[in-house]
Amino acid sequence: MLLLALTLAAGTAAADTAALAPLPAPANAAAGMVAVHRQPAIPIVALRLSLLADDPPGYAGAGHLLQHLLLPSLREQVQRVGGEVQITRGADAVVYTVVGPASELDYLAGVLRSALRQPPVGEAQLVAAQRELRDERGAEWETAAGHVRALLRGRLFPDELSPAGTPASAERFTPEAVQSLWVAMYRPERVSVVAVGDVQVGRVRDAFARLPAAPEGGAAEALADTVVAAPPAPPEATRGWIGLGWSAADADPAAVTVAARLLRDHLRERLPSASVEAEHWWTRQGQALALVVAAQPAGLPAARRAVGASLASLGESLDAGRVRAAAAGVRRDMLFYARRPERMADVVGQFIDRAGQADAAQRFYADVERVDEDAVRALLAQLAERTPATVDVPPQKIINRTP
Amino acid sequence: MTRALLFRAALAALATLPPSLAPGALRAQEHVVVRPEPGTPVVAVEVLVAAGPAEETPEQAGLAYLTARVATAPIRPILDSLGAHLTVQAHKDALGFTLTAAPDTWQEASRTLLVALFRDPADSLATVRERAALRAELIGREASPADALAREVDAAVFGPDHPWRRPAAGFSTTVEKLTLADVDGFIRSYLVPERTVAAVVGPVDAAAAREHLAAFLRGSPWQAPRAEPPAPVESPVRKEYSSITAWIAASYPFPPEVDEEAVRMLGELAVEGLSFGPSRRSVYNARAEVVRRAEGGELRIQIVVPPREVDAWAGRIDEAVARYADRAMVPSLFADRVRRFRGLRLRELDTPEARAQEAARELFVGGQGRLADLERLDAEHLLAAARALRPATLVVLGPFVDGAPAAND
Repeated sequence: MLLLALTLAAGTAAADTAALAPLPAPANAAAGMVAVHRQPAIPIVALRLSLLADDPPGYAGAGHLLQHLLLPSLREQVQRVGGEVQITRGADAVVYTVVGPASELDYLAGVLRSALRQPPVGEAQLVAAQRELRDERGAEWETAAGHVRALLRGRLFPDELSPAGTPASAERFTPEAVQSLWVAMYRPERVSVVAVGDVQVGRVRDAFARLPAAPEGGAAEALADTVVAAPPAPPEATRGWIGLGWSAADADPAAVTVAARLLRDHLRERLPSASVEAEHWWTRQGQALALVVAAQPAGLPAARRAVGASLASLGESLDAGRVRAAAAGVRRDMLFYARRPERMADVVGQFIDRAGQADAAQRFYADVERVDEDAVRALLAQLAERTPATVDVPPQKIINRTP
Repeated sequence: MTRALLFRAALAALATLPPSLAPGALRAQEHVVVRPEPGTPVVAVEVLVAAGPAEETPEQAGLAYLTARVATAPIRPILDSLGAHLTVQAHKDALGFTLTAAPDTWQEASRTLLVALFRDPADSLATVRERAALRAELIGREASPADALAREVDAAVFGPDHPWRRPAAGFSTTVEKLTLADVDGFIRSYLVPERTVAAVVGPVDAAAAREHLAAFLRGSPWQAPRAEPPAPVESPVRKEYSSITAWIAASYPFPPEVDEEAVRMLGELAVEGLSFGPSRRSVYNARAEVVRRAEGGELRIQIVVPPREVDAWAGRIDEAVARYADRAMVPSLFADRVRRFRGLRLRELDTPEARAQEAARELFVGGQGRLADLERLDAEHLLAAARALRPATLVVLGPFVDGAPAAND
């Protein structure tokens, strides 16, 4: 979800160039959807394959574990053509992205299709993948910024667990369990493909016309996911950190994105020595507007006041010009972020994963331009009525040791 | 369709874009190249100004780079408000300004940049701030062994009296003494249209984009950058350096007619043969870099090894390169290696700003499009490139544990 937030802070597709071709979805045959954004500037292609799937109950982190099991083989295959592979486990989907020469489209598509087969699991591979997952779980809490976001996320979306799973679920990942997890998660019709680059839609469609069939066998037994509510370690920070998040489940996503930018700019003006981030978190499960602020100890009381009153004070300073400028800024940042083919594929793909519509990114891009002062005011009023989730990390006391 | 055919088809598609003129023709006409890219979400503009160490005295080292930063510091808030991104780079032969902006703001952003470069006087506050910031950056950089090696290699490759022996960004000790008058004088003398080329890449109308930039550059006769020929010192150069590892660099000059992409592939192959692996467990790092200049270029290979293995590894760099000069690679092996190399190279050009930088440099030093070179690349080109390399200048930096004093101290 954090990746999503970062992406939304900065990127999506140009509205005028996507050729999108939803496919019919015969069972166990073709990808559920194939979207192509043609960029003939340079003969490379980015292919993003996503599998919409939740981790089976009791096996949080299963999707990402499977990705880590496959990654060494995928990497080795893609490097043969000078390409690169990335894995991402978002709240909505298990995602593989490859980028390489457009002339290697069929080869790269074959690499991605190989990620949809029943993963071979050896003890050594499993141990290595488990270790990587454990490192990722630890990294979420390593810095104060990560700490604040993880706590806020847990409070705003209590049903969502970390993509890296939990210590309890990690103990259940045996070789036998991994086979049955794949049975539970993979269905060809849940696969979407986005291609960005110098390729034609017909060739991409052909390349993903036959996906591996859904595996047969027993799915993993449903178990309960258990989560320790307390952080694994107390945060350590030299500055004080404040997190504030409002659920915005039923709000217009474009208005939330523009409001997040307005809130960020507004607080940066009021707290010039603090670091301020305002983010739009958005998954199939819901939306939230989150503030993460860090301030030096001396400025912390003022920062707390400013953050607590931020919705009201933003409303007082709001005008149509500011909203227009914020919307234009969001759109420009989106274009800048998406200037690499793999990032364009990522943004287009995330919208498809969430909305299930091939042109969702383009429509969002257009919607942002239409956000006006009234829409932002309505959203601020709506949020102000809700009790925000809060996180407060006090600064450590620094002991002066003079030699 | 075979992979090779598909690759050619992709390049043929590129050829349907409005072609760039031959470099000489562009220079005579205007200093602008435009490469329209429908489907690319942003516009990138690369401005290269022929100004660097050759326009500085030794005491002014870093003046060009400081001037570039001072000239652009006041416009950064304006660019921010336009959602535009600007980076400034100091090369040996030029200052590079890379601007990336949305299609609706790129013209205003590039106009703001060119006015700042050609018309605005130096700002005193910006001079003080940028000088302090650059000095702090240089102090940090000068403590790095990689930076020390680059300085020593430059000194060895270009010779003691050549201006390019100095880092393009200068030294902390020279930058701290530069004044507002120095910066102002440099702006007036060298940040001028006669020394400037620009490339535009992105979703633009070619004629309109050319017209937009030509308003700043038209009618100015091109002043080609002048560079004295290098006078390399006697090799190898051994310098004592306080570090736990030893750093070795070999610089191979190549003449202008050599295929740059073939040299680049040669560097990749050589590095593959030198990098950490089961039989090379003591190599901490290996990398290759190709720099194209008006009079040819340079392949620079660098490795980091334990100090006691310096002599062995110094010889192995030469072996790793020379093996490709013996005979052409067998076709199946070459096909396998070039397949990977092409992918790596294409990915290096995956942003519009990277393509704008490439286009501007082609215009600046001459030469054809790199993508066209990549398409033509075959085993014979690789062999020719390996054979065309001139003898390397070798520089070793590190603690010498064999008891022998550093030869060039």
